[in-house]
Amino acid sequence: MDGAVISTWLAALLTLGIMSFVYKDNLYYKICEAIFIGISAGYWFITYFWDSLYRIAWIGVVHEGRYVLLGGVVLGAMMLMRLFGKIGWIARWPLAFIVGATAGLKMMVYFTTNAMAQIHGTVDDTMVAFGGGDLYDLIGRLVILIGTVTGLIYFYFSKEHKGLFGGVAKVGTWFLMITFGASFGYTVMSRMSLLLGRIEFLLTDWLKLVK
Amino acid sequence: MLALLRIAKSIVFISSLLFVISILPTHSVYSRDTSPSSSDLGPITVRAFDTDNDAGGSITVEWDDPGYERLSGFAGFLVWRTNTLTGTSDSVEVTPFGTRTYDDRSVSDDSTYSYSVAALVNGERLMSTPSMQVRSSKQWFDGRLTWVLILGLIICGAVIYFIESAKRGTKLFLRRIAGLEAIDEAVGRATEMGRPILFVAGIQDMDDVQTIAGLTILGSIARTVAEYDTKINMPVRASLVMTAARETIKHAYVTAGRPDAYNDDMVHYVTDEQFGFVAAVDGIMVRERPAACFFLGAFFAESLIMAETGNSIGAIQVAGTAMPAQLPFFVAACDYTLIGEELFAASAYLSGEPRQLGSLKGADVGKAIAMIVILVGVIATTIASAWNSESMLWIENLLRQMFSTG
Amino acid sequence: MNKYYSWLILAALIIVVAILPKPLVISPTASVIVTILLGIALVWVLVLTIRGHLIGRRVVFLFIGASLTLPFFMNFEMPIKVSPEVKILYDALAKLPPGSKVLAAFDYDPPSAPELQPQADAFMAYAFKHDLKVIIMGLWPQGPQQANMSIDKVLQYPEIRAKNPKYGVDYVNLGFQSGNEFVIQRMGSSFRGMFPRDIYNTDYDKIPLLNGVENFSNIDFVFNLSSGYPGTVEWVQIAVDRYGVKVGAGNTAVQAPSVYPYLSSRKLTGLAGGMSGAWQFEQATQQPGKASTYVLPQTFSHTVVIAFIIIGNAALMVSYRRSKRGEA
Repeated sequence: MDGAVISTWLAALLTLGIMSFVYKDNLYYKICEAIFIGISAGYWFITYFWDSLYRIAWIGVVHEGRYVLLGGVVLGAMMLMRLFGKIGWIARWPLAFIVGATAGLKMMVYFTTNAMAQIHGTVDDTMVAFGGGDLYDLIGRLVILIGTVTGLIYFYFSKEHKGLFGGVAKVGTWFLMITFGASFGYTVMSRMSLLLGRIEFLLTDWLKLVK
Repeated sequence: MLALLRIAKSIVFISSLLFVISILPTHSVYSRDTSPSSSDLGPITVRAFDTDNDAGGSITVEWDDPGYERLSGFAGFLVWRTNTLTGTSDSVEVTPFGTRTYDDRSVSDDSTYSYSVAALVNGERLMSTPSMQVRSSKQWFDGRLTWVLILGLIICGAVIYFIESAKRGTKLFLRRIAGLEAIDEAVGRATEMGRPILFVAGIQDMDDVQTIAGLTILGSIARTVAEYDTKINMPVRASLVMTAARETIKHAYVTAGRPDAYNDDMVHYVTDEQFGFVAAVDGIMVRERPAACFFLGAFFAESLIMAETGNSIGAIQVAGTAMPAQLPFFVAACDYTLIGEELFAASAYLSGEPRQLGSLKGADVGKAIAMIVILVGVIATTIASAWNSESMLWIENLLRQMFSTG
Repeated sequence: MNKYYSWLILAALIIVVAILPKPLVISPTASVIVTILLGIALVWVLVLTIRGHLIGRRVVFLFIGASLTLPFFMNFEMPIKVSPEVKILYDALAKLPPGSKVLAAFDYDPPSAPELQPQADAFMAYAFKHDLKVIIMGLWPQGPQQANMSIDKVLQYPEIRAKNPKYGVDYVNLGFQSGNEFVIQRMGSSFRGMFPRDIYNTDYDKIPLLNGVENFSNIDFVFNLSSGYPGTVEWVQIAVDRYGVKVGAGNTAVQAPSVYPYLSSRKLTGLAGGMSGAWQFEQATQQPGKASTYVLPQTFSHTVVIAFIIIGNAALMVSYRRSKRGEA
């Protein structure tokens, strides 16, 4: 029996084990779950070790003399300080660095891409629809326009949802729910695809029922 | 009646005009039969300059075509570059038909260049005189993003203003978030049933603001939990979240006067692997059967799996996330869901913290601006296209320019 | 007794599988009969529900399992229409002249492979056939390995084997780099800074394909396969918005709705979402692959899900009626 056959059988048995949860929680599932969690935790540890510690920190600093990377190494070491009770507070500094740098980077990109470009897109789309295009196109863009404005009103927290404002916010809720429905449909597709991937593996590689 | 007659007349006139235009022999304008030969044409004028608003390494070349494109046998324009420091020359690109500009992004800021453009006609290169020498450079300020700066300053200014107001004790109004009652109810029910509470602060690290909002709400929940002496179980996917969550719960227990009841094991690391983490959380749910499950933070594909399992064990579930793709599952499978920004609003509301309250109020200013701009933009566009109003066209163009991000 | 039942069913299943011919293919007539039987069974469940006999969740699982498994053996042709989003993506690729440099960011791992691997295969095959130079990288640790699997697969295609694409000249795998969106940000000024060596530890400067590739300015198109964070959102926000490079994407269906707004604001150049996107992408690039075999089971399972939504609503109405009667 060669390695490929053993690995296929192992993968198939583990797949069936995880799938058995559909019937009910059982020992077989628990074993497969434990193997999965253990292996994945180990995998991540090894990945970070070789990729961050070895490839970047060791090779980068020691072999290539990119001393700027030492900054990251020091911050990383500071992160481990929380293992030592009394000086545990030092671990907060690299955390502050991560939060600050990410916030700085994301603030700009979110503002331009998720706010300004979307406003531009909404107005621009309506312009295009008025400028030409067929009736369906116009209706479609108007729906986007109404959805955007009523959605924004729903998420406006400085005013109580009462009267006309509340009514418009309610329309916003409807838009949100319809969006969620569409999104749910997409996820059903995704979940089916994942299951399909495993079933195909079982039928093709393991049972050889499909060519 | 007279008006109708006038309209009919104009329609007939316009139709005849269109008919005449449509039957005109348009091809004769660019007929190759009458095209000049290459010797009749003047030289190509080339202009090269540093590309604006970039981080260097780019030179824009522009040229005009005295009529080469109309010659039969024309194959394209060749952009020719000379490094005037080293004296080396090379061809950069053959541009397609109709192109009069080329952005050369393979230059170094340390060299100077001059460019020529050659018309390729019947295998011959009809070279222009070289352009002036030019050097690429980076600009410190991207002029295209001026409006981003202005609007950013307005919103950030509003955030700072509201934070300072809150710090000074001004009462900032925030509408009550309906989901908050559900949180209290869920904790109450777990206490009554004597079963634990499961809390998952998403699967992202501490650099995600949703995780931070989740942990703020955890602080409030943990205080109630400490007072009622209920059990809380919190599996985490990121080690930093584990530390932060432990500190949050510890602080809550101390505030509630029960530091002795706190235990580090309330928060435990599982694995970084997404579905490994889900498998573990599912296992915990099925085995420990918590009475209440909270999913507050950033979630991905695991949201439905967890919420479904929670639903199947009959737990009361409260979720909150700003991940648009995951909200549907929480809405479908949980008893209450904090949708998008409501998560941050709930966090601000519960903590009463000036920074969170101020940020939320500042964001409201941003939303108000967005709504006004969209509505004004759409009205202006409608009027401009329906009645050809110049002033409305001006507004439309201004908005277009303001919100263009390059 | 119940316990023995399940073991008996399991044993029977094993025997049936063992004696089935391999590979198993059902004729078109038998396929139609099986489909009709499945339909009748669903109608029967609906009738039962309306009569007040609610079925258990395991029956739902059974139907889903059958709808996903049986079509693998069937012989049906499915009509195809390429959506505008996939068309934009394909057009952007088709516009690239031979020799164009395409950065392929593989930001997913094996759990999302059923949806994204077919797209990866179709993309790699298209790139090799049309002489596009592919630079692979990953913001997810397992992404570059998924890319290698895809390359190994398409290199077996006769047409591509004839072209014999060479590593380092026609394609290169830069491997994984931790740092999420910061990696993209840094690549804006220097690829070398983020990837001093490729996945096989060869120096960046010693790879012919990377000669003259400094940053996004030297890249003609970015193709991102993404199943979460970091992924398409980050590529759009940084690579597109800051550095002006064109990005097209293949996403899992879960993620696709969250990137649709970038399509309407024209920040994203095309999107293939989920299995149906993968299938359309395969059709558009004329590289039929796994997605084309998945599409029939997928369609069957969707039909079953729609049927159960109807059945579920019928069950809801039944329980309303019951509670009303109870109140009365």
